[in-house]
Amino acid sequence: MLCDVCKKNEATVHIKEFHNGQCETHHLCAECAGKKEENGDFGSLGFKLSEILFSNIMPGKKTAAAAEEENSAPDTVCPVCAWDSEKIRKSGGKVGCPECYKVFETMLAEAFSKIQRGSVHLGKHPARKNGDDSGQLRQELKRLQTQLADLVASEEYEKAAVCRDRINALRQQLEER
Amino acid sequence: MDDIKRFLDRPVSFLDDTGPAADIAISTRVRLARNLAGFPFPNAASAEEKQQICDLITSAVRDSRVLDFDGEHNEFSPGELDDTGRQLLVERRLASKEFVSSPFDGKRLMVCPLERCSIMINEEDQIRMQSIRPGFQLQEVFREINRIDDELSCKLDYAFDEQLGFLTSCPTNVGTGMRASVMLHLPGLVITGQIAPTIQGISKLNLAVRGIFGEGSDYRGNLFQISNQSTLGESEENILSTLSAVIEQLVFHEKRARQTMLKDDRYGVLDYIGRSYGILRHCYKISGEEALKSLSGVRLGVDLGLFNSVDISKVNELFIATGSAHLQANAGIDLSSDERDIRRAQLCREKLKF
Repeated sequence: MLCDVCKKNEATVHIKEFHNGQCETHHLCAECAGKKEENGDFGSLGFKLSEILFSNIMPGKKTAAAAEEENSAPDTVCPVCAWDSEKIRKSGGKVGCPECYKVFETMLAEAFSKIQRGSVHLGKHPARKNGDDSGQLRQELKRLQTQLADLVASEEYEKAAVCRDRINALRQQLEER
Repeated sequence: MDDIKRFLDRPVSFLDDTGPAADIAISTRVRLARNLAGFPFPNAASAEEKQQICDLITSAVRDSRVLDFDGEHNEFSPGELDDTGRQLLVERRLASKEFVSSPFDGKRLMVCPLERCSIMINEEDQIRMQSIRPGFQLQEVFREINRIDDELSCKLDYAFDEQLGFLTSCPTNVGTGMRASVMLHLPGLVITGQIAPTIQGISKLNLAVRGIFGEGSDYRGNLFQISNQSTLGESEENILSTLSAVIEQLVFHEKRARQTMLKDDRYGVLDYIGRSYGILRHCYKISGEEALKSLSGVRLGVDLGLFNSVDISKVNELFIATGSAHLQANAGIDLSSDERDIRRAQLCREKLKF
């Protein structure tokens, strides 16, 4: 499909606008979308389009959230590895140490929303060195909570009640520790 | 440290073609990324820290004997190998390109004797462990690497967060730290022109498509690696079942494309396969790229039952044995690009004498 504006390039950006219940679709190439954005044509969208379009390929370009974080705390440096947000950007988005995930939480949350399916870990927990299995219990708890939500959504209340009881039992077990 | 040349005497473990759906799925691989709590990731660690990390992980692997087979495993430091040795590890898919590039501080590769499981220390993450097997068997491969991970986590204190899961150097791996991939041979989809829309469709499902040697490599020999992109917000089981479903679909479509091809243009297909065989059987100088392309044609011929006397494992073996480092290591001397092309041709002629 060709771009609505220049009619030359392949349209890679598809924008739906709703006005008074009417839906209007624009098919644009990246170049024309960029121009439209600069002219303020997407002023009401509430985000800067270029950040979403180009942040992956323009590592030097700071996103609004990242810039905000930097402005509010201009010298945020990880106390463990001494990396700052500039260093993270230069390394292609990699961080320096486990602590960085706390220090740069806001910046990374934005990255997660783009590259990951969710924001909470639902997979396995490591077995702890002293044989403590609370990690596994917490993992089971998370699994049951997701299951409960599904059961409620599908109105299977009897099964949901069984699931809820197991969740409560597990919670109690974890609290007792 | 072990002698890397020993590898050459052994067949490549993931190519012995005994796996499920082996006519289309070449191999299945699952890798897990892990790091130790209280240490920086390798790209921020000093040479001393990396050595300390390497020592801790090495002794945990040795003590737990997770890689031992008959009480033995292999260990290599990329810094102690020559260029050929390092490239050999990449061609056998035991190490990544990043792992065999400098700096080499604190890097170590530990491999089980069957080459099915291996652990890279201080690559992008402190621990990158993988299991690889022939054919399409995601569950079995995951079970194997998961067992190793469980045992190591009893000896090592992993960097783990309740919300984010396993913490990794790159946020693209956070959560499960798992990348599962299946390598598929898809000549049918390529020849019938269906591969581009197929790749587009796969990308929309949040899965990645890469070439034979992983990130940044092209789709040589009609070989495609399909893997999960997202590592956070889904359990390992969910990731594996989504990937499995897609692979099953791809295998189905490839089979259908092969049938369509034979029905619509039987002589065109036979000609393509015959020419591929002819090139390999009678060439005296061949580039790696052309060899892979022709091998893909011969493999298709074997899968379609056109060469009854051909052992598919011989064809599979050539996919790796015609790699530059394997040719060079076998020759025992440095070879120029021309000399490699001559030796590659010689090897193909000999192996494909049916």
